[in-house]
Amino acid sequence: QLHQFRCPCQMARRSICSSARRQVENKVPQKQKVFQEDNGMPVHLKGGSSDALLYRATMALTVLGVGFTLYELVKASFPQKKD
Amino acid sequence: MAHQAHAYHMVDPSPWPLTGAVAALLMTSGLAIWMHFHTTTLMSLGLVLLLLTMYQWWRDIIREGTFQGHHTPPVQKGLRYGMILFITSEVFFFLGFFWAFYHSSLAPTPELGGCWPPTGITTLNPFEVPLLNTAVLLASGVTVTWAHHSIMEGQRKQAIQSLTLTILLGFYFTALQAMEYYEAPFTIADGVYGSTFFVATGFHGLHVIIGSTFLAICLLRQAQYHFTSDHHFGFEAAAWYWHFVDVVWLFLYISIYWWGS
Repeated sequence: QLHQFRCPCQMARRSICSSARRQVENKVPQKQKVFQEDNGMPVHLKGGSSDALLYRATMALTVLGVGFTLYELVKASFPQKKD
Repeated sequence: MAHQAHAYHMVDPSPWPLTGAVAALLMTSGLAIWMHFHTTTLMSLGLVLLLLTMYQWWRDIIREGTFQGHHTPPVQKGLRYGMILFITSEVFFFLGFFWAFYHSSLAPTPELGGCWPPTGITTLNPFEVPLLNTAVLLASGVTVTWAHHSIMEGQRKQAIQSLTLTILLGFYFTALQAMEYYEAPFTIADGVYGSTFFVATGFHGLHVIIGSTFLAICLLRQAQYHFTSDHHFGFEAAAWYWHFVDVVWLFLYISIYWWGS
């Protein structure tokens, strides 16, 4: 097949061979495809498993944070023992 | 699949307003705990949560606009109104500190020696580093406008160069101001002069850092082909904010550095 004889880096869809410097590739069309997929996922999780990981970590800190705040405020409300 | 019969954006349910509110709770309570018990854990936790919230919320807005196409003309109009109203609220924020400065400096009390600058205060020479800072910010206003025109004309490389230059000028201002703070012959504890000087210029410096960060995000987005020649509102919002920061500096320079010296 003819495409086998094309420049291998064009085949691999990386930066254009002719440029000596590393070029940023336009990944917007790919992203548009991922985020417009009809999979019912909300936007904050639609990017994949790393979204879910970051979300869970944030929510864990949120819940822990509320608990820690309540603990500190209750502790501060009582007179401190003085030696 | 259901499709909307209108041009507006009905957002997906999002957890970030909740996590942001909790971050605010942690930072404020943490500040009180720090002041009384000298531990910074709670406040730091709040700061981390705030950074996580900001990153994910704004990441989602980029996804909704650039990748999902939700930022139609009426939606963009709403975003414009929003940014303008936000900047207006910031104007009022600074107005308060200018009020404080003029209150104390227009009618200096006997405790200050009945004069402004107060007795014993060695002010900074407005024609040295402060003047350089003025030139740096004015130049950055020019470069950010250059960046805007480059984006509108589809000149990718020039847009990246001028935006980079704008950010570097912002960093230069911050570095110069940090040096000035270190070398200043007066501190924040030096009466009302010190208070008004450092609180007003300090909040301004914070806004320069915020503005530089916003512009840096725009640089990353420009490099990743997010902006088109007729749709680049994120950049415009950053540029408006940057001009606002520049104007606040001009008022600070004229009032505190020049008239007040």
